[in-house]
Amino acid sequence: MRKSLGERIGQAGVYIVLSAAGLLCLLPLVHIASMSLSSLQAVSAGKVTLYPVDFSFSAYRQLFEGTSIVNAFVNSVVITVVGVALSMLFTILAAYPLTRSYFWGRQAFTMGIVFTMLFGGGLIPTYLTVRNLGLIDSYWALWLPGLVSVFNLLVLRSFMQNIPEEVDDAARIDGCGEWRYLLRIVLPLSTPVLATLALFYGVGYWNSFFNVLMYINTPDKYNIAVLVQQMIQSQMMLAQMSTSSSSENLVLSPDMVNSAAIIVMVLPMLVVYPFLQKHFVKGVMIGAVKG
Amino acid sequence: MSRTWRRNLPLLLMFVPVILFFVVFKYVPIGGAIIAFKKYNLMEGVLHSPWVGMDNFRMLFSTPTTLEIIRNTLMLSLLSIVVGFPFPIVLAILLNEVGRMWFKRIVQTLVYLPHFFSWIIVSGIIVTVFSQQNGLVNGIWESLTGQSYPFLYREGSWLSIFVGSGVWKEAGFSAIIYLAALSGIDPTLYEAAEMDGASRWRQMWHVTLPGLRVTIVLMLILSLGRVMEVGFDQVYMLQNSSVSDISEVISTYIYKVGLMGSQFSLTAAIGLFESLVGLVLVLGANAVAKKFGSGLW
Repeated sequence: MRKSLGERIGQAGVYIVLSAAGLLCLLPLVHIASMSLSSLQAVSAGKVTLYPVDFSFSAYRQLFEGTSIVNAFVNSVVITVVGVALSMLFTILAAYPLTRSYFWGRQAFTMGIVFTMLFGGGLIPTYLTVRNLGLIDSYWALWLPGLVSVFNLLVLRSFMQNIPEEVDDAARIDGCGEWRYLLRIVLPLSTPVLATLALFYGVGYWNSFFNVLMYINTPDKYNIAVLVQQMIQSQMMLAQMSTSSSSENLVLSPDMVNSAAIIVMVLPMLVVYPFLQKHFVKGVMIGAVKG
Repeated sequence: MSRTWRRNLPLLLMFVPVILFFVVFKYVPIGGAIIAFKKYNLMEGVLHSPWVGMDNFRMLFSTPTTLEIIRNTLMLSLLSIVVGFPFPIVLAILLNEVGRMWFKRIVQTLVYLPHFFSWIIVSGIIVTVFSQQNGLVNGIWESLTGQSYPFLYREGSWLSIFVGSGVWKEAGFSAIIYLAALSGIDPTLYEAAEMDGASRWRQMWHVTLPGLRVTIVLMLILSLGRVMEVGFDQVYMLQNSSVSDISEVISTYIYKVGLMGSQFSLTAAIGLFESLVGLVLVLGANAVAKKFGSGLW
């Protein structure tokens, strides 16, 4: 079918706007990456835009030698790996019984759980609870209070509910118990949504910041988010001081080291992201339709 | 009887740790919110601290600082909702118009990405890009106006950066739900419209938008239900003393005054107020959504 001129212009407009939107999401990161790979002189002269100038690894050398980023990175990995494992375990243990029609108190339990999504005691009572349990300055304080996300739980539950009854009946006749049925049939059938939830939990733990700030006191236990935050904050404070005073050529805590730290923090995410993209879109849709 | 018992026992075994979690970390803190009506002190704990009735709430609503904080919270979140709301819808409609799948997939990959960055990353990018020393934006600004501008330290520009960064981070990811709604529109409607000679624009207006109506209403109501929540990370990372008059919100105040300053009872009262308003808004929003035939429960 022939398209009118107006429609063709409209189509071109769509492609232009979307390309711009895509670039707008990508370019800031490219800029930061370029900064981290440029020399100090090029960065402070403001010459770096979207590609490295005077290519140099000095920012990374400074970052790895001058800060505790390696330690913080390892901490983040520990927090994320253990956290995802615990959260997945508990989310599965919560979701599966709630899909069984013969489970006693199913309605009441579901309501009790959904209610916590709508209303909570607030930050202070949660903090006091964690403190009374003696969890301050321990990673358990990061894992336990947010162990199960109710949203993720509902996503998994509605996915499991869609497994046809006939599968269940057949397994029963073969004498399959609850545990075996869960492990052998329900979980393998749920892998796409499990991957999505693991991604959501993983991103949450990797990015966790406020909880670390609140519950962890020993600097050696800080994760990468808190470390990077401290670097950025000190840069911001210095910048603010230099705005009020008139010293023009003040050498600041180098932007390039911060940029390198930002890159180190996003890198693991960028690595896993492409593999999981098709899954999380599906996961969000399940949550959106049934949540 | 014994058969259901045999089937329920393993389920209960699975579920006991879950119940324990929800009781200890969700319901105990809800009970702990009673310190909002007490004068909490460390020695006596949550249960034995003396009652003070509504004193904390009275203080909350008569102190200029706390009133300003509630005002800031409402202002920042309403502004974010109103400005940010159309972006995912427009993005989804545009993506829906794209015929080339590879192009669509690349754009989707790129615009979903910022959702996975923490506010630490985003604010790090912002601080670098808007830096007065050698930031990209100030470089352009300087070549246009001849001098640099402290974007992060003036209220107007800070607000724009705050709202804009929220749009940048979440617009793409929020478009997923509209894309899902769009894929649910019956393609025969478009065919029929085309038969009747409707242009692409007319189709968008008369088929696409009506197809999104329910989702749009639902999302709008849901986001209004969350109007008391301004994420801690975003504000905390972007705020600085030059803009503290507009950037101190409930969550940052609870952290600074409550946790750092040990004013547990007063800030627990603010927190409880926030939760209650949130609950009322969500329930109200759902009641309204039901009128549109798309309630949540």
